[in-house]
Amino acid sequence: MADRAAPPKATDKLTFLLALVPYLIDQVRVTVDEAAAHFETTPAQMRAYVELIAMSGTPGADGGYTHESLFDIDWDDFERGVIRVRQAPMEEIPRLSGREAAALLAGLQRVAALPAFTAGVDVAALMAKLARGASDAPAPVAVRPAATAELHALLASAVAERRRVRIDYVTARGDRELREVDPIRLDDIDEARYLRAWCLTRDDERTFLLDRIASAELLGPAEVHETAASPDELFHSDPADELVTIALPAAALPLIADYRGADDAVRIEGDRAIVTLPIAHPGVLGRLAARLSGELEVLEPATARAALIEWARAALSGSA
Amino acid sequence: MAAPVRRVPVEERLFSLVLALLASAHGLTKAEILSTVTGYAARYDAGGDRVALERQFERDKEDLREIGVPLETVDERGAEGDTKLQRYRIDPARYQLPDDVRFDERELALLVLAARVWRDGSLSSDSRRAVRKLQSLGVRVDEGVIGFAPTIRTRDAAHEPLAAAIDRGQQVRFDYVKPGTPHAAPRTVSPLALVFHEGRWHLHAHDDSVDAPRTFLLRRIVGGVELTGQPATRKAAHDESARVLAELEQLWTERVGVVRVRQGSEAEVVLRNRAGTEVLDVENDAVPADTRRLLLHATDLDILADELAAFGGDAVVESPDVLRGAVRTRWQRVVSIHG
Repeated sequence: MADRAAPPKATDKLTFLLALVPYLIDQVRVTVDEAAAHFETTPAQMRAYVELIAMSGTPGADGGYTHESLFDIDWDDFERGVIRVRQAPMEEIPRLSGREAAALLAGLQRVAALPAFTAGVDVAALMAKLARGASDAPAPVAVRPAATAELHALLASAVAERRRVRIDYVTARGDRELREVDPIRLDDIDEARYLRAWCLTRDDERTFLLDRIASAELLGPAEVHETAASPDELFHSDPADELVTIALPAAALPLIADYRGADDAVRIEGDRAIVTLPIAHPGVLGRLAARLSGELEVLEPATARAALIEWARAALSGSA
Repeated sequence: MAAPVRRVPVEERLFSLVLALLASAHGLTKAEILSTVTGYAARYDAGGDRVALERQFERDKEDLREIGVPLETVDERGAEGDTKLQRYRIDPARYQLPDDVRFDERELALLVLAARVWRDGSLSSDSRRAVRKLQSLGVRVDEGVIGFAPTIRTRDAAHEPLAAAIDRGQQVRFDYVKPGTPHAAPRTVSPLALVFHEGRWHLHAHDDSVDAPRTFLLRRIVGGVELTGQPATRKAAHDESARVLAELEQLWTERVGVVRVRQGSEAEVVLRNRAGTEVLDVENDAVPADTRRLLLHATDLDILADELAAFGGDAVVESPDVLRGAVRTRWQRVVSIHG
């Protein structure tokens, strides 16, 4: 899915070439292995790029390519695994595009909210320099720095330093539980922040919503665990979950996307969508209904239908 | 007899095009490019049909602009608009990273970290390309220094087409489910800025159907974003996103609701973890002892009402009345829909 690298596009390869040329000129002499490591590619791939560069140049006045207008690579050195560019028709370091600078600036705003990462760097000056390095004004994207929740900082340091953490957690059922976990990573997905961790209580990998953690404390060093789950999978449904069929306005289907699995059946009937999905706890139905501003009908089973009506009635009487 | 034509890979043709245009002080005409540059020249037929080759050149120009190469078109003096006489060039001064823009190891490590914030979508590919370009500076960054950063996933499918439309100044059309309603209505807008606030992506746009500025939640854009084929009716100001962010911030500060939650309940934990929540004193005797009063901020009370309705009876709205009413309406809707 998202993490699987797509095959490089021609524009990716062009960007690589445009970055590689000034690097090679600046290095004067560099081994194939070192250049490959710097650009995070294989030595074979690096050789192929250098060979492509060596065939390239600028057309002369008569329209032909001559030796004078081509890149000149020292082939004897190249045989020995060393890259040396003797002559080059270009040497410029490419600027960033407005969109590229904007993407880095927006990411930087997010990172800057975590002081641990910005030690020794003047972030404002760095941002100004980035904007100056762009070929046009950075495209408008802005990220409000995350509220510097102490919890987030504590968990971030636990991930970085591989420490075990004890969390006071409210489960989907509304129960408070103390759990010991070995954090794997933190994710922000749209509206929610998640902690992916090895749960020692359950002896399995689990995902915890940060806003359901009442408190957390650092314990000793974490252990390394065999992790099997795909890095993109956050929650997997439990076979014990009850299958519930609901109806909602078809247009609102994307609003409950994070409650749905890829395999959940969906049927569109006019402007209604009929969806069957596994539900861990009746309270989840209330959350789903709220997400749709109340516009949700449970079709079956009858027990789930009754549970949702009961939930709404209790809420109404409690707030009367 | 013609020599067999070597198949030139796309990246080699694009690279040759950049080299030719960078080196040419006065620029090259389309005919000069197609007849001399590697990747076009071998297929160039001076007297014949050049439609396919010209179309390829058009796509290549788009590709170069896509990765930020400042390709310029210069009209021949006295022949403005004549595409045959137009010259193409890349000004080295605009192509090249300014000399005073250099980064040390710590700065570059921070930029690599910033790029990794984006897990997917156009922000991810744009920032990865930026880092690739900066690698040409030869600054070595130790992986150990980079460390670990939180990531943001732009799962909203609308993000990518909207970012592209803003970039190119195009008008778009989409169906929008307004907060508090479950039904979609079509909107035609000129998109201006994408803003991440309160954990949600917002689009700030000029709504051309009502001729007024509007802010949309990406999550509530359903069924895809289409180009209308028209240019945007408004242009984004250079500080557009910062201004929109400040406005949202202002709204967020001003709009508050007070709720009562049971101490130790799920509602208390989740709402106290919400950004900006303040715990208020319990000032009146009618409030049970195990109850906490929380002051919450929100940019949109309808969205806050959705959030609060999810807790059922565990969160009771004290004020304002409009929020209290909105939450109750949601529960009443659940009851009546099943009636």
